[in-house]
Amino acid sequence: MSLLKPFKLIGIAHRSGVVTVRYPFQPPLVTPEFRGRIRIDASKCIGCGACVNACPSNALTLVDDGERRALNYFIGRCIYCGRCADVCPVGAITISREFELATDNIGDLNSRVIHYKATCSCCGEETTATERMISYVVSRVPVTETYVHMGSRCRKRRFIEGLMMGRGMIYGESER
Amino acid sequence: MVDFEPSKQDLEEVRAQLTEKLGHIARSVEYVPGAGILVEVPVKRIREAVKIIHNDLDAYLRTVAGVDERPVKGVFSAYYVFGLDSKHVNIIVVAYMDSDKPSIPSVVDIAPSADWYELEMYDLLGIRVEGRRLYRFILPEDWPEGLYPLRKDVAYNIRPEPSLRSREAISGPRIPVGPYHPALHEPEYFELYVEGERVVDVRYNGFHVHRGIEKLGESRFTYQQVPFLAERICGICGFVHSVCYTQAVENAARIDVPERALYIRSLVLEVERLHSHLLWIGVACHLLGYDAGFMHAWRIREKTMVLAELLTGSRKTYGINLVGGVRKDINRDKIGKVLDTVKWVEDEFKKLVEVITSVPQVVKRATGTGILPKHDARAYSVVGPVARASGLNRDVRRDYPYAAYKEVSFKVPVYSEGDNLARLLVRVDEVLESIEIIRQLLDQLPQGPIMAEELEIPEGRIGVSSVEAPRGEDIHFIITGKGRPYRWRVRAPTYQNIPALKVMLKDAPLADAPLTIASIDPCFSCTDRVVVVDARTRKRRIISLRKLSKINCIGCLI
Repeated sequence: MSLLKPFKLIGIAHRSGVVTVRYPFQPPLVTPEFRGRIRIDASKCIGCGACVNACPSNALTLVDDGERRALNYFIGRCIYCGRCADVCPVGAITISREFELATDNIGDLNSRVIHYKATCSCCGEETTATERMISYVVSRVPVTETYVHMGSRCRKRRFIEGLMMGRGMIYGESER
Repeated sequence: MVDFEPSKQDLEEVRAQLTEKLGHIARSVEYVPGAGILVEVPVKRIREAVKIIHNDLDAYLRTVAGVDERPVKGVFSAYYVFGLDSKHVNIIVVAYMDSDKPSIPSVVDIAPSADWYELEMYDLLGIRVEGRRLYRFILPEDWPEGLYPLRKDVAYNIRPEPSLRSREAISGPRIPVGPYHPALHEPEYFELYVEGERVVDVRYNGFHVHRGIEKLGESRFTYQQVPFLAERICGICGFVHSVCYTQAVENAARIDVPERALYIRSLVLEVERLHSHLLWIGVACHLLGYDAGFMHAWRIREKTMVLAELLTGSRKTYGINLVGGVRKDINRDKIGKVLDTVKWVEDEFKKLVEVITSVPQVVKRATGTGILPKHDARAYSVVGPVARASGLNRDVRRDYPYAAYKEVSFKVPVYSEGDNLARLLVRVDEVLESIEIIRQLLDQLPQGPIMAEELEIPEGRIGVSSVEAPRGEDIHFIITGKGRPYRWRVRAPTYQNIPALKVMLKDAPLADAPLTIASIDPCFSCTDRVVVVDARTRKRRIISLRKLSKINCIGCLI
């Protein structure tokens, strides 16, 4: 009897039939939960870089160039963890189910959002924040409006000037 | 709920025992929650301490971590982590070394499993281990002498000029095809020395693709990024590493992880074990020339892969772990799907196992081959199914419970034969146990959040965490730092099991070697090449493991 046992496999194979799909002629077996490449909604992105800080593999990078700032997404480095979508404060990043990303043109692997940096309302230089970041902050915390349009240097200067103008006591001014 | 704590009584007992036996050498004995009992000894007396703990207390060596603590404490240090299964507690022996010329006596004659750890300490940290032969072990041959990458004053991204000093000069063109070929699977290979058909000695040559993951985690990544890096240590049991890392940090920082998150971790770990064991059973069948069994094992496995994707969002490298909890919740719909799948897997698997264990070529070739006797298993501190097949009743899930394992009941299969069949049967039993565990976990799944609210990680804390991977015990040792781990020591299960292959392969016929090597379930592609050296003629032939599995006469080779 036990000699015949191995032949039971024929029955098993017959019952299970063909289990592979004729991909790519048939749709791939991908569950609804599958994490593929990300999509960045340029109309929502504020260029804050929270996703860049969270990205473990440096697929998302910020590139500064004078008045512009680009958020670059390079699929070649992406590990499809979706941490960027978790941390995005404005929900600009969505995880898609796309995974057929092979290409013979490296340009297809890069996509970017270009932001313009805000200029300081005081000295006119570029600040470290993008325009969208500032409007985001203003919409959230309206009280900060006076200082928020300034660059960090002008903000510091203003603060010290404010102190010297009599808010609090001055011990004396050192000579230059 | 923080990780499992040993009972007060056990702790006091071990502490009293340690103070009694080590009182004359130990500088301090204290319990560090989340790590174990920390014993500081002078570096000169480390051998005595290890002897007492390893031999008298019957603890086994789990890992050794060398640390460059010069920026913090002005010393080098070595942490020897021992596990005391019966008391569910770790004993960590620490010795501080001089910062200029760090050296430490070797303990390899007391605990043979310390061999690799000592070589690694020498190679990566420049700690001289006295009283043994030291040689380049992990770093490539052309790495400059005196540059120790794990030291804190060495940047993580240096690319030193290769120094060809240690290489023999070879004239004429050279084509490097062989065990280091980049187009091959992971390059790790064994040299089997044979006399006729009999294996007389084994040499292992590995670490060709050492990626410096520990250094990366210590210097470029942040606490919440490392889980994704840790997951890439292994392509089959990656989740084990990310759980182990996050637990080590949580232990060190005493972070309360919500219960639901712990259950989800356990659930995914068991799904991972299912797919890993089914993979292994398939590969074992393949190596024995029973490809039908291989196909059907993988047919069943495929369902667990789809299940994993449904639960986590990815077939492998699930990416759902963070320090403090998990990222993806499960709902009623998913629970139903999990139960359906495991039911299907259970039925199909039982039918398949019945067939596999009746196939003569499988049973006969696995019985009595690759025997690892119990005392050798203990000396080499082997872990996981390899230990359990050699009569060592050792399972981290039960001995050092983590995640939700203390809430479920399960059997730990132990076989005493120590041969390849025993290792196969251990895994078969574990698949069925895993299915039971999954059912229990889903039955008891608590409600609540899946992520801890407070995540504060103080500096300078020690954390140790272990996870029962499909291949055995995985252990991570962490010293917390600023924004990222100060020291992150990973010890994967195969690291502990490979040295024991020497025992299993010695004096065995060559034809059994492929199965025996595979039987420890090394991350399999790592061992896809074998060199056969005829001890009499010194002739070498390099063949792939697959080919070796197909031949049964050494005459065809040499």
